[in-house]
Amino acid sequence: MTTTGLKSPIGAMAPSVVPPSGRIDIQHKLMIGLLTVLAIGVAATFTLPALWMLLGSLRPGSQVIESVSPLSWHTLIPNTWTLENYTTLFGELRFGTSMANSLLVAFASVIIGLALSVPAAYALTVLHFRGREFVFSLLVIGFMIPFEAIAIPLAQLFTDWGLNNSYVGLILPGIGNGLAIFNMRQFFQGIPVSLREAAVIDGASDLRIMTRIYVPLSVTTLINSGLLIFLAQWSSYLWPLLIISDEAKQVAPIAIARTYTDTSFNFGQMFGGALLISIVPAVLLFLLQRFFAQSIATSGEK
Amino acid sequence: MHPTVPVRHSLTRRQLRTAVLFLAPAVAAIVLLRLVPFLGAAWSTLFERAGVGLLAEERFAGFDNYVTLFGDPLFLNTLVRTIVFNLVINPVQIALAMAIAVLMTRRIPGRGIWRTAVFIPCTIPLVGSSIAWGVALRGDGPVNGILSALGIGPQPFLTSPTQALPSIILVASWVGIGYWMLFLIGGLNDINNEVYEAASIDGASGWRTFWSITLPLMKRPLLFVLVADTVANFVLFVPPQLLTNGGPEESTTLLMFDAYRRTYTYSQPNLGATSTLVLTLIMLLIVAIQFRLLRERD
Repeated sequence: MTTTGLKSPIGAMAPSVVPPSGRIDIQHKLMIGLLTVLAIGVAATFTLPALWMLLGSLRPGSQVIESVSPLSWHTLIPNTWTLENYTTLFGELRFGTSMANSLLVAFASVIIGLALSVPAAYALTVLHFRGREFVFSLLVIGFMIPFEAIAIPLAQLFTDWGLNNSYVGLILPGIGNGLAIFNMRQFFQGIPVSLREAAVIDGASDLRIMTRIYVPLSVTTLINSGLLIFLAQWSSYLWPLLIISDEAKQVAPIAIARTYTDTSFNFGQMFGGALLISIVPAVLLFLLQRFFAQSIATSGEK
Repeated sequence: MHPTVPVRHSLTRRQLRTAVLFLAPAVAAIVLLRLVPFLGAAWSTLFERAGVGLLAEERFAGFDNYVTLFGDPLFLNTLVRTIVFNLVINPVQIALAMAIAVLMTRRIPGRGIWRTAVFIPCTIPLVGSSIAWGVALRGDGPVNGILSALGIGPQPFLTSPTQALPSIILVASWVGIGYWMLFLIGGLNDINNEVYEAASIDGASGWRTFWSITLPLMKRPLLFVLVADTVANFVLFVPPQLLTNGGPEESTTLLMFDAYRRTYTYSQPNLGATSTLVLTLIMLLIVAIQFRLLRERD
């Protein structure tokens, strides 16, 4: 403790202008130590339930609850390891079909959603016409009303239109996203008008300008908007609950929720299913988290 | 770059045609998928059914549905419960998300790992979180196992009228906190380091720096997160539907579940639509605030 002397604090740890002193150095290290312990504690609290689910899905289902008393390491760590829960999920429970349905719906929604939002954002950025701000507000506010709020009346309409129990019925409500249009327009506004003007003089059409200039310049924003649409559709629960009764077209969140209320179902399989529906968003978010946090966190700022 | 102010284009016919073509799909989508159902629902609140069920004959009823709904103590309690629920869950989630965001932006060893760990639950859809906690909070589940080991008796959690709603707050917060943390970390990273250096030259304590520098500079990201979180929690549906079915003793019936149950379980679509409309009007108000926040800039 006494040997620290006048050793100056390591580069970035403290602002260089503060005169270094041993006491501050020790205090600082202690503080860092305490904060690290706190951070580990917080991290463990958030991870533990997920870890318990993961390990629970790798043990015979009955052991999930049996292992609670007496409380021991085996409450968390299985004494018997098995992949049986997963083979049952993909075998007789046909969870693979539900996962495939979810993937199809989410990807189709992203593609259609972007094909719809990009031209809209483009027109609202570069074209001048009366009522432009009105159309913009209509689209953004309209799509920002959480879908849940109008899901029930919309489901009744979809039933009238014969769209229940169809993929089209699942995809359509996910294609419009106010935040996506808003973000894209924000980004398009940052692209110099001179680029378009030069292209117009060269005789390029707006379709060409949009696909050759605006789209390539806004890949980050497009990824982010696509991710928003994908995640919303992937975790959608109320909507498929309302319009899908045909098991062959059911999406994964509902398929796994159905089993929760089924008393004969085993917890290991349930945990396996819950984790399987988390893998796709997990992979996407970890790959794309930079884009994700950035553009939303700053969209309110600049 | 042209130094000139953008010339106000006189609208050519061609430009108008392009605008119409480019905007038509999005406008058609919003009209068919948002406005039509909303207006249809609003219109149907003015009717009532001669009998029970979706096929019963409708007749004009004026504001009877509103009178019925606002005269129904169950609905009034649900409305109040939803508001109180939001007044608790949103500040709690954001305060914790902010505290963890500040912690995770400190220069501590391995912070990337701890940050990722907090974020892990966000990748689990709410259905997954509900299932996990539904099992964990059972009478014979591991949470009670831990409580017993600590000498605290087993708690009823989801089966108790007083503990069910707090349990649902836990279910939603486990996935919510890390999500909002991500946005707040984004905001914290945008704060210029020089500001902190200046504060430390002036000898400001860490606590003081937080209150008088960090918080004011975080106003915008915090407001954004607050509104977005409120929007999400006002329509919270999965946990009450899956875990408690609105019970016990209606203690977890929130507005969204109420509208769902009136329409599908009780087959009263007009009352359900009225309940939905009340919910939508509250949401519109929140969204209007959100829109203002997003557009505001200085």
